[in-house]
Amino acid sequence: MSAVLKARGLTKRYGKQTAVDGIDIEIPAGRIVGLIGPNGSGKTTTLKAALGLIPFEGELSVLGFDPRTQRDELMREVCFIADVAILPRWLRVKDAVDFVEGVHPRFDRKKAERYIAGTKLTPTMKVQQMSKGMIVQLHLALVMAIDARLLVLDEPTLGLDILYRKQFYQNLLEDYFDEGKTIIITTHQVEEVEHILTDLLFIRDGRIALAASMDEIGERYVEVMVHADRIAAASALQPIDQRAVFGKSVMLFDTHAGGLSRTQLAALGEVRNPSVVDLFVATMKGSYA
Amino acid sequence: MNTLKWLIRRELWEHKGAFIRAPLAVAAVLVLLIGGGFLYGMAASGGVQFQVNGDTLLTINGVPQPARMHIAALVASNYLAITAPLFLVLPVVAFFYCLATLHDDRRDRSILFWKSLPLSDGHTVLSKALVPLVVAPLITVAIGIAAALVLVVIGLLGGAVNGANLIAPVLANRNFYLAPLYLISFLPVYILWALPSVGWLLLVSSWARSKVFLWAVGLPLVTLGLLAWFNFLMRRFGGPSINYRWFGEEVVARILGGLFPGIWFGEIEGAKLATEQLGIDGPTLLGLSYATLLTPGVWVAGAAGCAMLYGAVRVRRWRDEG
Repeated sequence: MSAVLKARGLTKRYGKQTAVDGIDIEIPAGRIVGLIGPNGSGKTTTLKAALGLIPFEGELSVLGFDPRTQRDELMREVCFIADVAILPRWLRVKDAVDFVEGVHPRFDRKKAERYIAGTKLTPTMKVQQMSKGMIVQLHLALVMAIDARLLVLDEPTLGLDILYRKQFYQNLLEDYFDEGKTIIITTHQVEEVEHILTDLLFIRDGRIALAASMDEIGERYVEVMVHADRIAAASALQPIDQRAVFGKSVMLFDTHAGGLSRTQLAALGEVRNPSVVDLFVATMKGSYA
Repeated sequence: MNTLKWLIRRELWEHKGAFIRAPLAVAAVLVLLIGGGFLYGMAASGGVQFQVNGDTLLTINGVPQPARMHIAALVASNYLAITAPLFLVLPVVAFFYCLATLHDDRRDRSILFWKSLPLSDGHTVLSKALVPLVVAPLITVAIGIAAALVLVVIGLLGGAVNGANLIAPVLANRNFYLAPLYLISFLPVYILWALPSVGWLLLVSSWARSKVFLWAVGLPLVTLGLLAWFNFLMRRFGGPSINYRWFGEEVVARILGGLFPGIWFGEIEGAKLATEQLGIDGPTLLGLSYATLLTPGVWVAGAAGCAMLYGAVRVRRWRDEG
């Protein structure tokens, strides 16, 4: 099967400012991709382009459709939760389910009702009576019952407490995701999604800073708790990041860049896989400077 | 079209208060005031008073036969006139609906939820145009007819009890049954005359980032004022005159007043209406209304309304909501 999302030279300018600067992306089916970048790096703009919400330059194909000219066809196969989207205040739970069932050919009413039954939502409840967490539960119930080939989540858990956030991702993995589906997530709460991601896309200043699968990343990046007497030797190998934890020096190495091997690094100290957060911080160094 | 049906239902969920509860409330007030006033007046005076909107048309105490037939004909032909206040509420509600409908979901960002569903912007705007053009007028007409029938029943029964039994002559009058059809027959004329207003208001609603009312109403009025001012200056200094009156009548009135039922009567010569002695005759009024469609202005304005609706679709499709 061809790529779910394929971009070539995707560019979006707002006046003189370039929000997305000629990026190339290719996302195959059956992946959970984390699109991660600092504020204003072009994440949301990229997703908006993919969802046909804004005009852009360059080539972009989503599920084989051009989002500019074939948005109506595209939206039968794609679903999204936008970061700032809210459900309208006057909407009732039962009306929301009726409506989506009425307009969406791929909506499974039973699935939505099963999910709603597991929450405190009642059929006659209006959105204006719900807490932020309940609104997201309703939104998720509607979205998960849609058998979409691509699901785009832009900061879906923003402003939710930890219980709702954990439950959100758990539901997504257990009840929604399968090998025929693709999920693209942007979030600042990287630590909460890193265990469910299969691929990482780091974006910085409108450009892709890193694109790799989690397996590749585990193989390529190595974090070393350097022994005190080896610090000089370790620094000579040009770590991409360095920090101190409890007086110990922790260094992050890109084995591709320096032609380094794991055994070579193991001699310097305790070796482990870096967390996505540490990798992110190292990659984005100087973003706000 | 299934999607369209759900989109219209969606609009009625959101605006139940404006399109259903408001006319129901007005109808209830009409029934209470007119019907109650009628019954009270009868009980107090012992006679029968016919009132329309508070004006006493006739006071009857023991009726001779020819007058009875005359009154019965009047009732049968004009009972729907009682519902006139409903058609004053309709344009106000529809006007503010059009201004808000494409703006509110952008303001509260729920547009991104609607856009995450397979709903084309064309369908969305079409549903939002059909509500003030067709759905809301039909609801108002239905509520109006129901309220008028309740009042007729009160009037006829009250009259019968007090010795002015008009039940048979009213029910035997074919205008009694034709009146609702006449009323509904105005709808195509209404749609054509309302199109430029609906198009303009939805376009502004789709386009303006804020202050929708100021843009929608202020822009045409300020333009008109400027034209009048330029005209004044030009004439003062011997230049050519600007026909700002034309702009006022053909543009401003059409895009701001089109939702007002009967705005087309402005095109009918007053003399034709003045000749109607016994209330307003439904078929004559209908004929005069349809005659306004023979002028090209309605059609040009209607086409402009459709173009503005298309503009509203384009703006909604491409405007970046941030």
